[in-house]
Amino acid sequence: MSVASLDAGGEGRAAGRVPFLEARNVTKRYGGLFAVRDVTLPLYPGEVVGIVGDNGAGKSTFIKILAGDHEPTSGDLLIEGRPVRFARPRDAKRAQIETIYQDLALCENLSVMDNVFLGHEITSGLPFRFLRRARMHAETRILLDDLGIGIPSTHEIVVNLSGGQRQATALARVAKAGAKLVILDEPTAALGVRETRALLDLVLRFREQGKAILVISHEMRDVFEITDRIAVFKRGELIADRRTKETTPDEIVSLIMRGRQ
Amino acid sequence: MTSIPSNAATTTSAPGLLRLARSQEGVVVVLLVALFALVLVFTMASPYFLDFRNAMNIGRAVSIIGIAAAFTTLLMIAGGLDLSIGAVMNAAGVAAAIALQSSGLGVPGAILAGLSVGIVVGFVNGVFVAKLGVNPLIMTIAMQFIVRGLTLGLSASASKIITDPLFLAIAQSYFRIGSISIPAPLVWMLLSMALVWGILRFTLFGKYVYAIGGKASACRRAGINVDRHTILLYVISATGAAFAGIVLASLQGAGIPYGAGNELSVIAAVILGGVSLSGGVGLIEGTLVAVLLVGVLKNGMTLLGISSVFQMVAEGLVLATAVTLDRLKKRF
Repeated sequence: MSVASLDAGGEGRAAGRVPFLEARNVTKRYGGLFAVRDVTLPLYPGEVVGIVGDNGAGKSTFIKILAGDHEPTSGDLLIEGRPVRFARPRDAKRAQIETIYQDLALCENLSVMDNVFLGHEITSGLPFRFLRRARMHAETRILLDDLGIGIPSTHEIVVNLSGGQRQATALARVAKAGAKLVILDEPTAALGVRETRALLDLVLRFREQGKAILVISHEMRDVFEITDRIAVFKRGELIADRRTKETTPDEIVSLIMRGRQ
Repeated sequence: MTSIPSNAATTTSAPGLLRLARSQEGVVVVLLVALFALVLVFTMASPYFLDFRNAMNIGRAVSIIGIAAAFTTLLMIAGGLDLSIGAVMNAAGVAAAIALQSSGLGVPGAILAGLSVGIVVGFVNGVFVAKLGVNPLIMTIAMQFIVRGLTLGLSASASKIITDPLFLAIAQSYFRIGSISIPAPLVWMLLSMALVWGILRFTLFGKYVYAIGGKASACRRAGINVDRHTILLYVISATGAAFAGIVLASLQGAGIPYGAGNELSVIAAVILGGVSLSGGVGLIEGTLVAVLLVGVLKNGMTLLGISSVFQMVAEGLVLATAVTLDRLKKRF
């Protein structure tokens, strides 16, 4: 079946490290249709992996399996070598896997700070649980500065932010939640040149912090700029898993279009 | 890797005044201006208007609507809607009156009986809306029919007279501060508003009210139990209505099963106060000023000898004007 494991793996694999998350022979079937077929893919800390492929190649289904939105029909997910089962998104979150879908899942009527802390608020007192807003604003400021995110005020309402600032807010949220694996679905699709640049830098900063990062993208230039490995999906199968340094955009595009020769 | 420049310029370049007008605080400011304008007009038109006792009359008149509006404001900011409010008010009043007559548990038992109606109705509303995905408009209209029918059936369509002086004191007494006397219903309303204000402004629950109204799916992904919060909000709305019903029964000296439903006046006040029907936006201050605005309008028109029929027309026009202005301001 898949020969992905025969391809060159990431640097982490060469060093003999344990992947943070490994998908092993993961298959998702809908009746006779294979949405994802026998995919084996390890994701290492401090490594950015790009998933590329045509529409309907199984990329989205695959990340939804990792995010706990779908359960695989067969195959295993391993976190640091131990098998896990994600029946719902909450299970994946508990395993410190955070997914940023294209809709970003932000409350646009709330401030940057409110979104960064959504679901993780600092409170005091019972029975009413009072918000400690000043402290959360201060922590948000530090977090944004650490990540180099250019949002002038943590009080700003998200509806007033640019697309890039919204992406950055979503990423800051994920950082706050303490994610070890961050999955990004087409993060630069709606961004301008400058904003794309800032976002890519942000992803690289996440990598420096030792997070594993999985990015779905159609933008070949972005993929080559930030990834360490590129996984090519076609008709639900992982047909290639290349080190970015050892491949070319032409080869990847050819794999996407024509499959394995 | 490069150091990161700040992202593209923020899109918030609207001038200060326009920004204020668009904000939820701006709605309150506009309503306050309208309220003062109205007070000014009626003061010039009628010698009886600007008077402490008249002000207290207005306060008492709006208090029932105001209590229910305070609590359902929370639900509506979260994107919910409760049309069973009016039916619950009557049912709670009747339940309290029946409990007084026959339970032997006195006033605490009566209050408990009344509030229980709200808790049960709100819980059923909440479960059907949150867990089963029933449209809140339809669910709470259905509940309105059910509760109204049960109230009429169980009371044999007869008013239950209340004579217990302690129960009557709930709404017929006064709070005296120095030389001024404030009617109790007005105090209950202001306390209700203050409670909701504190919840919205300072608590985690208050934040989730706005967050759920803004984007429930984002809250779910953030691990917030949206269904539980939604059910609780329906309980709060209906229990607030039940509290209003208890105060109303005390004011009237009877639990009246067939009173006209107040739900539309309550919801109109909340909308006038700046709460968006789609949720996520609004302030309790807006609800308070809107309730007072309608109260002043009705009172002033009464003093000027304008019939209550035309007062309804005026109330409708004010609401229509408010929501139209709200739409128009988004175009600038």
